[in-house]
Amino acid sequence: MAIEAILEQCRALVEDPSSFEAVDRWKAAHPGGRAVGCFPVYSPAELVHAAGMLPVGVFGGGNEIEIAHADSRFQSFICSIIKSTLELGLTGRMKILDGMLFQNICDPARNLASIFKRNFPDMFIEYLHLPQNLGSPRGIEYLAAEYRRVLRALEGWTGQPITDAALRASIGWYNRTRALVRALYQVRAEAPQLLSTVELYTLSRAGVLVGPEAHAQLLEGALATVWDRVVKPKDRLRVVLEGSFCEQPPLGLIEGIEEAGCYILDDDFLLGWRWFSQDVEVDGDPVAALARGYADRSVYSAVKHDLREPKAKHLLDKVRTLKADAVIILAPKFCEPALFDYPLYRKALEEAGILHLFLEFEEKMWIFDRARTEVETFVESMLFD
Amino acid sequence: MPYAETNPKIYAAGVDVGSTQTKAIILDGAGQIAARSLIDTGANVSRAAERAFMEALASGGLHRDQVAYVVGTGYGRYKVTFGDAQITEISCHARGAWHLFPGTRTVIDMGGQDAKGIKVGPGGEVKDFAMNDKCAAGTGRFLANAAEALGLGLDEIGALSLKARAPVRLSTVCTVFVESDIMSYLGQGKKVEDILGGIHSAIAARTISLVRRVGIEPEITFTGGVSRNLGMVHALQEKLGVRVNVSPESHYIGAIGAALFAAERAGLIRSAA
Repeated sequence: MAIEAILEQCRALVEDPSSFEAVDRWKAAHPGGRAVGCFPVYSPAELVHAAGMLPVGVFGGGNEIEIAHADSRFQSFICSIIKSTLELGLTGRMKILDGMLFQNICDPARNLASIFKRNFPDMFIEYLHLPQNLGSPRGIEYLAAEYRRVLRALEGWTGQPITDAALRASIGWYNRTRALVRALYQVRAEAPQLLSTVELYTLSRAGVLVGPEAHAQLLEGALATVWDRVVKPKDRLRVVLEGSFCEQPPLGLIEGIEEAGCYILDDDFLLGWRWFSQDVEVDGDPVAALARGYADRSVYSAVKHDLREPKAKHLLDKVRTLKADAVIILAPKFCEPALFDYPLYRKALEEAGILHLFLEFEEKMWIFDRARTEVETFVESMLFD
Repeated sequence: MPYAETNPKIYAAGVDVGSTQTKAIILDGAGQIAARSLIDTGANVSRAAERAFMEALASGGLHRDQVAYVVGTGYGRYKVTFGDAQITEISCHARGAWHLFPGTRTVIDMGGQDAKGIKVGPGGEVKDFAMNDKCAAGTGRFLANAAEALGLGLDEIGALSLKARAPVRLSTVCTVFVESDIMSYLGQGKKVEDILGGIHSAIAARTISLVRRVGIEPEITFTGGVSRNLGMVHALQEKLGVRVNVSPESHYIGAIGAALFAAERAGLIRSAA
């Protein structure tokens, strides 16, 4: 299949996050199969997959749904993804999902897990506690114990044991899709005109709905034909985009930012699903390998508390490696982790003489003129300087 | 003799399609204003852009073919379909303000629907900027609503606010809810000028806090339609403690900036930076 057809297929899958049609299709092909929603940021999809289920990335309801129920459960200053995810549940749109997996990323997400437990008693709800001290080997042991606890819960739910061999196979599948996504990001860094950010985003995001086996096929197809595209590079600002790790910006906003005159060479969209910067080991104890992977092979983020290296250093390294001209910080409105990180980034970027633009977004946006004007002005200020 | 030879392309134009009004400026080869127009934007943005440009041409007795380059700016810049380029209103306001007041380092722009703070470099370039977000406080719309609630015209309120002796305090700068504050104060028998004094003071404070995000450095130039309101000029000066530049052309500044960029690109004048 040529890349255009693959992109069209992926766009159709991800355009409306309140629809889980891909999950319907998977269930039709896997009679009796269960699907478990994985809430961002870092949800170990491998554990769910090893139990023979479909891990499904749940990233809120997007800009297609109306919030008519969730506002009565949350304060007005809570970010959109929390409210729209609950709205999906309260309006029955998540009935196709048999369970949900949450982690301790922030207070609203933590409370969302409890709200789900209370409101949807038929759903399997698990909450994973991520370690806060990654400098200590005890942190890794603790995480491995947490993974084992979740595995036991999944086994108790299905009545089927999850073998080490099954878990290794699942790690292998996700290693493969993540490596393919990394390869596509490499294409973007080398020849950004060949694959727009929104195209790469839809290619990556389709994977959170179809499972790694089908995703690998889509990615391999895209990778095989992306270099056949003939697109003239434009004179655009080369930027790194950072900050939108949990709530996902609308596709129109991602498009608008690029059309306003820049190439986004790297971003942190769908972070949890692109978490590992290298393959997780497939030899030895797979649970320990996943825990070590989280500690040592996962990318930095606002919700990963790791004092071994300053967070801003990773951002500066990314800018330098990609030879980017500037940084765009795209933070979700009311997102404490993202906004807490901004002062650190701002200070480091200013000290390093790297220009940046700070933008806020919400998943429920339909008009992107303001963001576009800001990006255009930012581009003009660098070009006219 | 062909038309172009007797009428060389020695003009450049800027069309600023704002949310409320559309402004067009035509500069001659020396960078001086040769013609201008100002019309209400209305619902048909493309037509407003075209009409403003045509009216400016007519007012200067010029022909369209004499204009070498047109830059569109403002929120409707992409509707300036006859334009050669689009440049954001932020860049254009900075350029226009710097052209009129070369010492400008900060621009406070208060338009019909938005408010902005712009930090300007020594060559008129944008160094940083901040925009209002989903809130009309600090915009012409807010003042228009307040004027309406008081039964006054938008042109009257600025001068009247200067007569305030005991300005009231507002509990909100929300464009919708301010009306209930106004009604309460009218009910209490407060003087209209004191209510207006309070409104101008609250909006000035709100706008200054937006502009502080980019840092406030003198000289400060106040642009946009609201800069024609003397009460707002006074309130800003009082709170900032410095004089604020205001040009009689202030509501044309976006269009002037756009026309300057157009003139530079047409090679009529030298680049500022």
